[in-house]
Amino acid sequence: MKVMLANIEDVLREAAARWTLMAYFLLSSIFILIFAFGVNLDIVDGALAGARLFGKDAEVRNPMDIEKLVLGFESGFSAFLYLIGIFLAIFATAHLVPRLQEKGTADLYLSRPVSRFGLLTSRYIAGLLLAATNLVYLIGSIWLMVIWKTHVVHPRFLLSGVIILFVVAVLLAFAFLVGVVTSSTAVSIMATYAIFLFAALLSGHERLAAAVSKEWQANLIHGLYSFFPKTAELGQAVVKAVAGGELGERMPDTLTLPVFGSTLAFGLLCFTLAAVVFQRKEF
Amino acid sequence: MTSAIEVTDLTKTYSSFGGRKIEALRGVSFRVEPGEMFGLLGPNGAGKTTSVKILLGLTRATTGTASLMGMSVHDPESRRRVGYLPEGHRIPNYLTARQALSIFGRMSGLDSRQLADRIPPLIERVRLSQWLDMKVKKFSKGMTQRLGLACAMIHSPDVLLLDEPTDGVDPVGRREIRDLLREEADRGTAVLLNSHLLSEIETTCDKVAVLRGGKVAAAGRIDELTATGSQYRMIAAGIDEPLVSSLQLTGAIVARQNGHLLLTVRDIQQLNELIDRTRANGHAISEIAAVRSSLEDIFVDLIKTGEIEQNSPGALQGGVQP
Repeated sequence: MKVMLANIEDVLREAAARWTLMAYFLLSSIFILIFAFGVNLDIVDGALAGARLFGKDAEVRNPMDIEKLVLGFESGFSAFLYLIGIFLAIFATAHLVPRLQEKGTADLYLSRPVSRFGLLTSRYIAGLLLAATNLVYLIGSIWLMVIWKTHVVHPRFLLSGVIILFVVAVLLAFAFLVGVVTSSTAVSIMATYAIFLFAALLSGHERLAAAVSKEWQANLIHGLYSFFPKTAELGQAVVKAVAGGELGERMPDTLTLPVFGSTLAFGLLCFTLAAVVFQRKEF
Repeated sequence: MTSAIEVTDLTKTYSSFGGRKIEALRGVSFRVEPGEMFGLLGPNGAGKTTSVKILLGLTRATTGTASLMGMSVHDPESRRRVGYLPEGHRIPNYLTARQALSIFGRMSGLDSRQLADRIPPLIERVRLSQWLDMKVKKFSKGMTQRLGLACAMIHSPDVLLLDEPTDGVDPVGRREIRDLLREEADRGTAVLLNSHLLSEIETTCDKVAVLRGGKVAAAGRIDELTATGSQYRMIAAGIDEPLVSSLQLTGAIVARQNGHLLLTVRDIQQLNELIDRTRANGHAISEIAAVRSSLEDIFVDLIKTGEIEQNSPGALQGGVQP
């Protein structure tokens, strides 16, 4: 545990000293401030009577139920947070393994009485801790801001953070695998973003398979879909989880075990492979 | 008694993508006992770094065994009592000296109380007390090196593996590091020093092993390796030509050199005969000392011998086993 905590402290201190993390929190803060000062709502008897967006009056023809408005806003906004949260998290943490494997650094860490699996795991946990901290900051601030502006408390919005962190955990495992193999931060980031987008494209596997001429090609597409994380479905799952109730029921059923289970399996496989390669690697 | 470091018949073969094999180590064996300062020498590519990396589990031997304090190097626990200073190490420059010592200390199993006890005296020993809370990025090369040494010693290891420990350190700092390492050895720590600075190894180490082409070309105590065995320097009163002629009659090679005599003898009896003749001729002897080669002479000879052997058709590769 001492070793793990020392490693986590090291990663957090490094993150605090790096401009990427500063940028991570700065971007989030700018976003929160824009939201705080740009949106002014006029609420009368629990209904939206008027609104000012970035200094301009927005037309409100019929008074709207503010609770429905908040629900709609938070649901839609969570999809945006899903994208931005994941991209920022990978950008800020993908260096953790390549940096560890640099000449002069690897020797310092690996010559300590700690197993390589322990070292890799502690850096992975530290990376997740960083991502979680930013998500709590970003999502928590927006949530509090919405409460401040509308007096509507909608805790389901916080569920978005849990699902986003789950996807970050899986993609970070993939970034670690690429990092262990290539020792390159740039390649880790690019490959992880590529997997995210490729897996999202595969959500249309039924249509893609129908469009190809050979059966093996269709099988390959279905196979790839089964193997890769369900990034598109998980994005929908974030919205569905936040919306809940009637609105959620109208959306595709993505809060399912196969979606989460297969994504988790991909993450576990990636982390196991990363650990095996790291264990066997010679420095 | 268990050796602090024991390496037996280590071989290491690297394979490239083209199937080409490079033998970095070809049966290396050596031992370092507790309290001993041991120098590992050799030209670039001789296998020094590979040997140290195998000891630390950074790379795996193809065949052979290596142990630290009696534990196989495959066990991460074997590194609990080892401090390592790699060449060209990169202590994270975003940390202060105190944070670096704390993080690496905890990674070696120390708790906060032990760290609080260990850090102040250790940082004093490496002369960095004033810089304890300064970020490493502000440090000079020599200071970073001294901090690296402190990080290697933070958990009071029984074995110190040091790769070019005085790299970038000024002459006074080098002396201080040498003294510090000697203190550690006197305390019972086994110190393995990997350095290109032969004079430093000569003044610091008790024993050395010279690696050449992945094999141990020579190993032993420095005073034994540097003794030529057949040459002596004699200082006597009133050395003159008749005395030299008289001594040459014994068959020994006698030469006058800078006011003393350089005697090349067959054996110890011949040396005693020369002493008797000198005294019989009324010349008082004030000093007789065996002429020694420097470690550098030995090293250069060994490497040149290796090159000649390698260039000779049908010659054996590598050198002699100790």
